[in-house]
Amino acid sequence: MSAVVGGAGNRVVARGFDGTWDELEPFELPGPSAVLVRDHLEAVRAVRAAALTGTEVLLASRGRITPDLEDELSDMGLFVLDGDRVRPPAERRPSTPGRVWLLTSGSTGRPKRVAHTLESLTTVSGDQPARTWLCPYAHGAYAWWQVVTLGLSNPGQGVLFVEPDELETWPARAAEVGVTAASGTPTFWRQALYRDPESVAALALEQVTLGGEPVDQTILDRLRDLFPSARVSWIYASSEAGATIAVHDGRAGFPSAWLGREAAGRATLAVEDGELLISSPKRGEGIDAVLRTGDRVEVVEDRVLITGRMASDEINVGGAKASASTVRDVLQSHPAVGWAAVRGRKAPIVGSIVTADVVLTSPATQADLTAWCAERLPDYSVPRRIRFLDEIPIKETLKSDV
Amino acid sequence: MSALSRDAIRTMMAEVLQAQSKTLPADDSANLEEIGFRSLDFSELALRVEDEIGQELNFDAPELRQIATVSDVLDFLEQLQAA
Repeated sequence: MSAVVGGAGNRVVARGFDGTWDELEPFELPGPSAVLVRDHLEAVRAVRAAALTGTEVLLASRGRITPDLEDELSDMGLFVLDGDRVRPPAERRPSTPGRVWLLTSGSTGRPKRVAHTLESLTTVSGDQPARTWLCPYAHGAYAWWQVVTLGLSNPGQGVLFVEPDELETWPARAAEVGVTAASGTPTFWRQALYRDPESVAALALEQVTLGGEPVDQTILDRLRDLFPSARVSWIYASSEAGATIAVHDGRAGFPSAWLGREAAGRATLAVEDGELLISSPKRGEGIDAVLRTGDRVEVVEDRVLITGRMASDEINVGGAKASASTVRDVLQSHPAVGWAAVRGRKAPIVGSIVTADVVLTSPATQADLTAWCAERLPDYSVPRRIRFLDEIPIKETLKSDV
Repeated sequence: MSALSRDAIRTMMAEVLQAQSKTLPADDSANLEEIGFRSLDFSELALRVEDEIGQELNFDAPELRQIATVSDVLDFLEQLQAA
């Protein structure tokens, strides 16, 4: 376990705590446990306990665990720890050493459980420049674990954790704590730039990381403009596949030359029928060696662009196929648009039409946006109904609610 | 919310056309093809009506008929609201 806690002297800042991993109040894991956490502080205390003792653990925000799901966790042989409430497992069993369970963020249906270890979740190793990271991710999510394991295992990597109710004010907190690296979804970044671009720009960021959703060129360009000396990276990662693609050149997508490339310790990438296939050494246990990701990709010149999900991206407009992600990207490339979500709406005659929700950063009318889209898209893809929202809707996963 | 008047629907139809840089002629017997009012425009108009009255239109209710003129569109949407 010593390699896993090599950063035990690193700084951890969470609501109610500013100290090192070693200074965290001990947390008792009575056996293999599912910890229903209320905040990041409780979560990192549980992580430290698991790392030091090798105890099997699953961490999730309390609100994610429905009674049915809790029953299933108990049936898996896990203690359920919910504050002072301790529910013993349906049947006691020994801990699988080092086992970490993740719940997938699946937006539909019941979250699946994916088996990892602290080692398989530790994707950054070797000498890293000393940094203080911002971690806005949901407790126990894959991206959360990536930042946590980075902080726990690599000397010099501090972490500031931001609770969901602090998402509107995080730039001020990050400035106080001296954050120099920040990781978030594209939706998180768009929301931050929309809400308070000046406070975000005032941060001395050396590393800006995006992950969890497809990344478009517009948000990369905006972040690059804002932080000209920072490295802007996007990471492709999921609970199932692990972290498999890291791109640092400031361009959306990844080089098509990476397709089919095989190297020890790296994922092998392929495209089949427009879908991204990944074979990753960092994948969860029991996950197919060649994983069909469900992510739709398009090879454009020397890049492979992730354009959305296989099933949900297509809007059938009278037999013509509009791509929701393409329309969204066109809308988001409009200078007055801070965020857009595109979906199909059931409509007479043509089956469905393209509609959009938009958040503006400067004044624009529906006619402006329609004209912008009409210049760049076939007519069936131009949104016919555009709803202007006051702010960007965001889910606990920090992904846009679409 | 109460049903929209024929005039209100006509105003919406003009707005849909205007967004395409087209004009709704004064004469309701104008041919849809000639004024460039297509099925996509009709769909948009129907959704505008739905949004305004706050309920979905039931397109299965009325008999299918040929919709060739501005008047046909207005008749049809009026009838749908009553269905």
